[in-house]
Amino acid sequence: MAPTEDMIAQVQPLTPALRRYARAMLRHREDADDLVQDVLERAITGWHGRRKAASLRSWMFTILHNLALDRLRRQARRGVAAALEDLPQAHLATPALQEQGVQQRDVLALIARLPDDQRSVLLLVAVEELSYAEAAAVLDVPQGTVMSRLARARERLRRMMEDDAQGAIPRPALKIVP
Amino acid sequence: MTDKPITEADLQAHVDDRLPPERATQVEAWLLDHPLEAKRLAAYRAQNIILRAALAPIADEPLPPALDLRLHRSSRTKWMFHPALKVAGIAGLILLSGATGWGLRTWTTPPSVGTAALAREAASSYAVYASDAARPVELAANDRAVLDNWFSKRLSRPIRAPDLQRAGLTLMGGRLVATAHGPAGLYLYRDRGGRSIAVYMRPMEVEGSDHMKPRLEDGVAGWTWADNGMGFAVFGAAPGNGLHSTANLVRSQFRRT
Repeated sequence: MAPTEDMIAQVQPLTPALRRYARAMLRHREDADDLVQDVLERAITGWHGRRKAASLRSWMFTILHNLALDRLRRQARRGVAAALEDLPQAHLATPALQEQGVQQRDVLALIARLPDDQRSVLLLVAVEELSYAEAAAVLDVPQGTVMSRLARARERLRRMMEDDAQGAIPRPALKIVP
Repeated sequence: MTDKPITEADLQAHVDDRLPPERATQVEAWLLDHPLEAKRLAAYRAQNIILRAALAPIADEPLPPALDLRLHRSSRTKWMFHPALKVAGIAGLILLSGATGWGLRTWTTPPSVGTAALAREAASSYAVYASDAARPVELAANDRAVLDNWFSKRLSRPIRAPDLQRAGLTLMGGRLVATAHGPAGLYLYRDRGGRSIAVYMRPMEVEGSDHMKPRLEDGVAGWTWADNGMGFAVFGAAPGNGLHSTANLVRSQFRRT
């Protein structure tokens, strides 16, 4: 089925954020865009069946999140490590951060080492700026769980950044499986 | 005082600026007595900033044709969504990229227009001029009226240097900057610690309005946005969320004029 003008007007502005979340979760451009295409298809075919109570954004993020988790689980079973070269080359050194003793290297490589449930909540709240209630809906957990996962994610990332700044942890070896 | 005890959830919400103002004030007061917690929260806030900046370029990329629903309106591309033909996706994609003028390479090259381009110009201007000890500005703050007048004339709309005293920033002056998109205005401010902040603006041919986005260009952090055909950027060295609140202050003042 082809999308209507109305659907396009509502969905298109959300697509860049969906791509960003998908790529941050999967760390692979083609896989991520593939997933977003799946989300768009499902959104269009399921358009009239969706619960109007939930915001379109949290609905689409819910579809995407579930697809991303499926994909990550399948990759984990096959032992595929993501391709890091697809990450944007950000030079992450701001004076504000140096003041706090954080020597910035690759924050994206660091969050990749967070457990999936912690990485997703951090991305949804800190980057996609979903409300805590929206994040709870997307992750299908109570809001209290969102808060505790968020706290764990942030603390873990903080420790990794400190260790990273001290050069205590070697960069992860990459396993690229064709 | 009968304040509820501060919880970890309060602290997390404070990092995200999502507490009601009254509760935020209580948390701020509590943090003054708990410097270690304050330091931890500052690190979390920094995480928010760098994560947004590191991932912002993805959302700025032009949509690949396969994800651009407008292209799926035409009958020619509708079959792209048919699951049985999904294997034809790559071929279709290449066809589409020819048809739409988006070469595959253009997805990855940095955009030369829009607020992403503005961000790069602003960061370069900041890097060149803010560090110039001899002559960072062309016209100093005591020539502010002349400066505002000059910018207004060259940018073809009324421009006034924003008053950023509330953010602890004093105007040093400004200069006109040449860009591929015509003249741009650069005001430089200084905070109490002697750090410079650049407020940069120019008319936008595309992306005449855009929401506020965090940027990181060659190690300089900043924010960009566009309102009514005018693009703005605030770049510089400011601890914590200082730059964001400065950007909001600039934006509110320009919206009033």
